[in-house]
Amino acid sequence: MLCALGLRLDKNRVPAENRWMTSVAIIDYGRGNVRSVFNALDYIGVAATITDDPAVIDDASHILLPGVGACGDAVAALNSRGLPEILHRQVFEKGKPFLGVCVGMQVLAAKSFEHGTHDGLGWLDAEVHRLDPGPDGLKIPHMGWNSLTPSRAHPVFDGIKTEDLVFYFVHSFAVTPSDPDKVLTTSDYGKPFVSALAWDNVITTQFHPEKSQDSGLEVLTNFARWVP
Amino acid sequence: MLKKRIIPKFLLCDGRLVKYRQFFSDERQAGNPVSTAKVYNDYGVDEFIVLDIIPSEDSKAKVRDIIKTMSEEIFMPFTVGGGVSSLDDVNALLRAGADKVSVNSQAVRDPSFVADAARSFGDQCMSVSIDYKEISPGVPRVHINGGREKTNHNPVDWALRMQDANCGEILLTSIDRDGMMSGYDSDMVARLDEQLDIPLVVSGGCGGLQHCIDAFAAGASAVAISSLFLFTDHSPIKMRSHLVSNGINVRASKTSRN
Repeated sequence: MLCALGLRLDKNRVPAENRWMTSVAIIDYGRGNVRSVFNALDYIGVAATITDDPAVIDDASHILLPGVGACGDAVAALNSRGLPEILHRQVFEKGKPFLGVCVGMQVLAAKSFEHGTHDGLGWLDAEVHRLDPGPDGLKIPHMGWNSLTPSRAHPVFDGIKTEDLVFYFVHSFAVTPSDPDKVLTTSDYGKPFVSALAWDNVITTQFHPEKSQDSGLEVLTNFARWVP
Repeated sequence: MLKKRIIPKFLLCDGRLVKYRQFFSDERQAGNPVSTAKVYNDYGVDEFIVLDIIPSEDSKAKVRDIIKTMSEEIFMPFTVGGGVSSLDDVNALLRAGADKVSVNSQAVRDPSFVADAARSFGDQCMSVSIDYKEISPGVPRVHINGGREKTNHNPVDWALRMQDANCGEILLTSIDRDGMMSGYDSDMVARLDEQLDIPLVVSGGCGGLQHCIDAFAAGASAVAISSLFLFTDHSPIKMRSHLVSNGINVRASKTSRN
């Protein structure tokens, strides 16, 4: 039985000869468990580097901005390393596919209200607000597995069945964009919140694909293959 | 909507899986934690809790190695603890691959520790583990140092204080029920859930599927399970389908749908 399970575990592994010509720069700004993102990409056979080096970021085909912690703190950490300008050039001028995860999604907003008011990178006309526990007194952080309701198809969710769109979340704040067309998925916690945004070559997820087992690995695989 | 979580709890003694009753009696060896975790991973459990029960500098290094190995092949959240007594300990576990760090004795010994750690690493990283037992009927008290040292804290009041210190989750373990497989302390869960605004993981006593249903009904966000999975023929797959058929919103793993 163990053998059979072991084989299943390996089904997402990509044989070396089939690895595609993708390299992902995982942006290191000294926050969060970036190792787990690296581990997940490595497992599916995608070359990845944890880096804040502009030259390495420039060489990468894809950019992944991970994040754990508070939004304002993350923006300050990015600023102190001069990363916002570098990322902006890569994403908006060079058009590289970009995935922002959790706080890596929230920092793109114009304004965050976590522990005071903080300016975000402003890539998106959006605000980051605390989740509302509502009349039922829902637990905050929103921690655990929740499902996604997509508003349209997207290459990063290709091949994932609707019932498998279940991902791991851990957050107390969520992004509200002014442009509803950028909302890719919503999830329900008392009321709907935005769980993924996408426009042009950018996709951001409030959930953690690197912590979401098979469905998460499929999202990362699709991202690594994505040519917007 | 957010799903209820099923979390295997691994107790490690010098890097090996062990299980006791009421923390100290009837030691049983339960094997290699990494290979066991891989099996549960494939069964589609929702997270892992890994606690080093007799922590030393040596054993803490072993735990970090185990977490590092697990997190290279298992892509779900890990809560790791045991002997966490400094911000360096927290950081070392997060760097090894832990997503949440469980703090127990140090939270009592240094009342500002949890708040400091939450500020440095984020609220969601900090899980406070509370072990309690009844010192006389109806008088539960928090115990630290692996259940060896009694404090004067009532578990409900202590949990609320830790919530105020910005921890992200409470892991509540009944020492009296640990390993006894006679059911969770659902009364305590209900009492705490009423006042707690953060997620509550209940631990100690699970011996059957109905016990999980009772704990969720009482308000638990997640159930921690060790004996039931280690020593009976219950699997996470069987548990999941039983819970779904009882109307409880848990994740349907791909494996269980096959």
